[in-house]
Amino acid sequence: MVRFLGLVLLGAVIGGLAALAAAGFVNAVLWLNETLLISPRSRMMFERPELLVVTTLAVPALGGLVVGALHRAIPERRPHTPADVIAAVQTRRGRLPARAGGLSALTALISLGAGASVGQYGPLVHLGATLGSQGARLLRLGRSEDNITIACGVAAAIATAFSAPLAGIVFAHEVVLRHYALRAFAPIAAAALVGHVIATSVLERGALFHVGSTAIPQAWEFAVFVAIGGLGALVAGAYIRALLGMARLAGHLPLPPVLRPALAGLLLGLVALWVPDILGIGQETLRFATIAGAFTGGELLLVLALKIAATALCLGLGFSGGVFSPALVIGTLFGALCGTLVGVLNGTPQETFVFYAVCGMVAVTAPVIGAPLTSLLIVFELTGNYALTTAALASVTLASPIAAQLFGRSLFDIQLNARGLDLSAGRGRAVLQDTRVAEHLTRECVSLAPTTTVEAAIRALGEARHGEAYLVDADGRYRGCVTLPELEATLQAGGARRPISDRIEAERPVLYPDTSLWDAMARLEEVTGEALAVIDDEGIFQGVVYEARIARAYLRHSDELRREEHGTG
Amino acid sequence: MAPARRILIALWLALLGMPAPASDDALGVLSWGGAYERAQRQALFEPFTEATGMAVEAHRYDGGLEGLRRAVAADEVPWDVIDMTRSEAMAACDEGLLEPLSPDLLAPAPDGTPPAQDFLPDSFGRCAITHTLFATVVAYRRDAFPGRRPTSIADLFDQQRFPGPRALQRTPAVNLEWALLSYRVPEEELYRLLSTPRGLRLALDRLAELDEIRWWEAGDTPPRLLAEGEVVMASGYNGRFFDAMVNRGVPIEILWDGQVQEHETWAIPRGAPHPEAARDFVRFATTTERLAELARRIPYGPARQSAAMQVTTHPEHGLDMRLHIPTHPLNAERAIVKDEAWYARTLSRMRDYFDAWLADTGCAASADTDCPEP
Repeated sequence: MVRFLGLVLLGAVIGGLAALAAAGFVNAVLWLNETLLISPRSRMMFERPELLVVTTLAVPALGGLVVGALHRAIPERRPHTPADVIAAVQTRRGRLPARAGGLSALTALISLGAGASVGQYGPLVHLGATLGSQGARLLRLGRSEDNITIACGVAAAIATAFSAPLAGIVFAHEVVLRHYALRAFAPIAAAALVGHVIATSVLERGALFHVGSTAIPQAWEFAVFVAIGGLGALVAGAYIRALLGMARLAGHLPLPPVLRPALAGLLLGLVALWVPDILGIGQETLRFATIAGAFTGGELLLVLALKIAATALCLGLGFSGGVFSPALVIGTLFGALCGTLVGVLNGTPQETFVFYAVCGMVAVTAPVIGAPLTSLLIVFELTGNYALTTAALASVTLASPIAAQLFGRSLFDIQLNARGLDLSAGRGRAVLQDTRVAEHLTRECVSLAPTTTVEAAIRALGEARHGEAYLVDADGRYRGCVTLPELEATLQAGGARRPISDRIEAERPVLYPDTSLWDAMARLEEVTGEALAVIDDEGIFQGVVYEARIARAYLRHSDELRREEHGTG
Repeated sequence: MAPARRILIALWLALLGMPAPASDDALGVLSWGGAYERAQRQALFEPFTEATGMAVEAHRYDGGLEGLRRAVAADEVPWDVIDMTRSEAMAACDEGLLEPLSPDLLAPAPDGTPPAQDFLPDSFGRCAITHTLFATVVAYRRDAFPGRRPTSIADLFDQQRFPGPRALQRTPAVNLEWALLSYRVPEEELYRLLSTPRGLRLALDRLAELDEIRWWEAGDTPPRLLAEGEVVMASGYNGRFFDAMVNRGVPIEILWDGQVQEHETWAIPRGAPHPEAARDFVRFATTTERLAELARRIPYGPARQSAAMQVTTHPEHGLDMRLHIPTHPLNAERAIVKDEAWYARTLSRMRDYFDAWLADTGCAASADTDCPEP
């Protein structure tokens, strides 16, 4: 009980720290945007407008240069993102690295400050998670607690950035933890609450959306909202594909990775001279997209396509930042496009235009981050408007499942899958996939030279009380495996003097030290035997992993998960 | 100094064309004259003399920094305290015409609330301290729209529900803010959105939707146009509308939604003859009690929340002044504080843009002309 209350208190403390960090981050981005002539306000106030052409090109390019240089100090040579947080929690690895986390936050700050078309919520989530994980490590807590404190940091960051505590709590559960346990709920709720309180006192910002109280959509419009959801899933898919495709393409560029973000910045600046709406987080664009008549249909289509391209370019070529804020802009533009279209067909002035914009926004963002409930709650907490939330619900109903069927649960899951972590079968599999067989490797086995006679081999196995022997040649290479029944049969048939290399069991698979426990279990399904040999890349015998050890590890991991997800204290 | 000698010096200076210096022992206050100075005399100057024994000599100006520039350059500053708009105080401070003024000199509220919490946000500049806020508001004729009344600034642009000609100030300021607000944009984002070509276009589109706009330039025009029934809605300064309503019985009402507030500050010029007394005066004139007394006489909002809550009835005609003060919570619910830093940098460009638009929509360039829509 005391331990549990302590965890809640720790959650609140981490929530406070993460919220302060998030508030500082958001304000620093705003300040940088003002100082570096990225925000429209500073551009309008700049006394020498003729120089804006130069700054528009130079600021993102130089920002990219700095970001590229800083990323060399991260072991993976890329910024860490919420995908890394999800991986750490789903595999129960936890322990997010402080240095890489701090550097990623710094490069995200520079990227956002210099006007790159990237999001700010991803870096905030990762920053909060890193703070949470550091807290758990500082207090020498276990992996379960580490996961909970990570979720606390995430919830507080979202609660602060959006002034939406419920969305923060749900996001931490829906995207990061992916299970619901009372034991985790209380600390996360405490963190989100503290974050919210800090947000309302430190960050003074207008609501992301403002909706007149009079407008209520008509019944037929809800059918349109559902359709927007279905189409929005396709837009989300295009956005995800563009991000992944550009990242692949960047690998083939004849340009060192350090210089790639600078190139992206320069290209972004060039396009921004023509369409400034794509620069930065795009809050002004977001607002205008909710106003009927602010954009023509053609402009909406143009900015929509360019924003997708710009974000793919920036993130693909190595700027640091999130995918959520651009998705908000893209989705809202898409919704506005649908609204404009309906207005043209319908021929009446649109009181409900903002409904279309918000439906489009939810339809695109929910599939991208894999969080339909969070998206709904953000709409609800930001607007306090129930009619709008219902419309968003209509839209998300189709958007999330369609996108999941066609593309994957979220961008993060697709990225992790590409890195070899498949989360589609849940956490049990993720944990096993993340555990290497090397942890269960043993040398306690009978290894014999291939030239050993059957007679001698039977004797050796009998002395060691084993049923299987592993053949290792003079160079230490693994040559196969023989079983006692097989050797006995050979002996009976009068082959006592034959070398055991004649009797190698065919089709016995081998493992590598970095084979996951999950894959090892899959191999075991094809085998009846006591253990599998482990070899390195050059075929050198490393030892064996016993089937019983794998089964025991599986049971232990399942048990830990069960306790974490269903325990109450 | 003997009175005779003082007169002689004054005469001599007058002959030389120099501004008359303040009498040695009197505090020179430069303010706006008229009803405003009368209210200040009763609420601030006379009580200050009573409390300190120091006389106050009021000088009058119509704003602008020319006089101050000349006086500072000649090292002959005849004033100790100046009542300035915040935008002018910012500019004067940047030019080095004002003494730095620390908010540390301010008195706490009667209940002990420190000034930093009691004063409205951004009341303390480097050289100036806000004492009151005045507002540009919309007023409408009570008899123009039977059965309904405008409640939101968007109604200024709603010609279906509120038909009739409007009078607006011939400047981009305030008009652009209101036009964009009518799209239900949150106040906090106004100037960010007005910084984009798209925002400006939306705002001007909204203005262009109005069938008939009378453009005014002098502050007394809008109450007159309303009184004569020439227009049904007009923008103007809240003090002028108050005057028309209360003193001249014009049947108008103020729409407080979307009011654009500007700060009026106290500043001490560089080389003021009595800088110590000037600081004493600023402290005295910005106490909760004095600010509330001032607001009882003229409907400008005290910069202190504690003072806004204490405002009572007008000492002469007994009107409840709270309802007429821009900063009163009932009126200030959706107030916009003019972004003076933004205007300081953009006004000339905005004016060019606005004038070009006026020319486009067929308006004559001369002052105070009707604007026939094409």
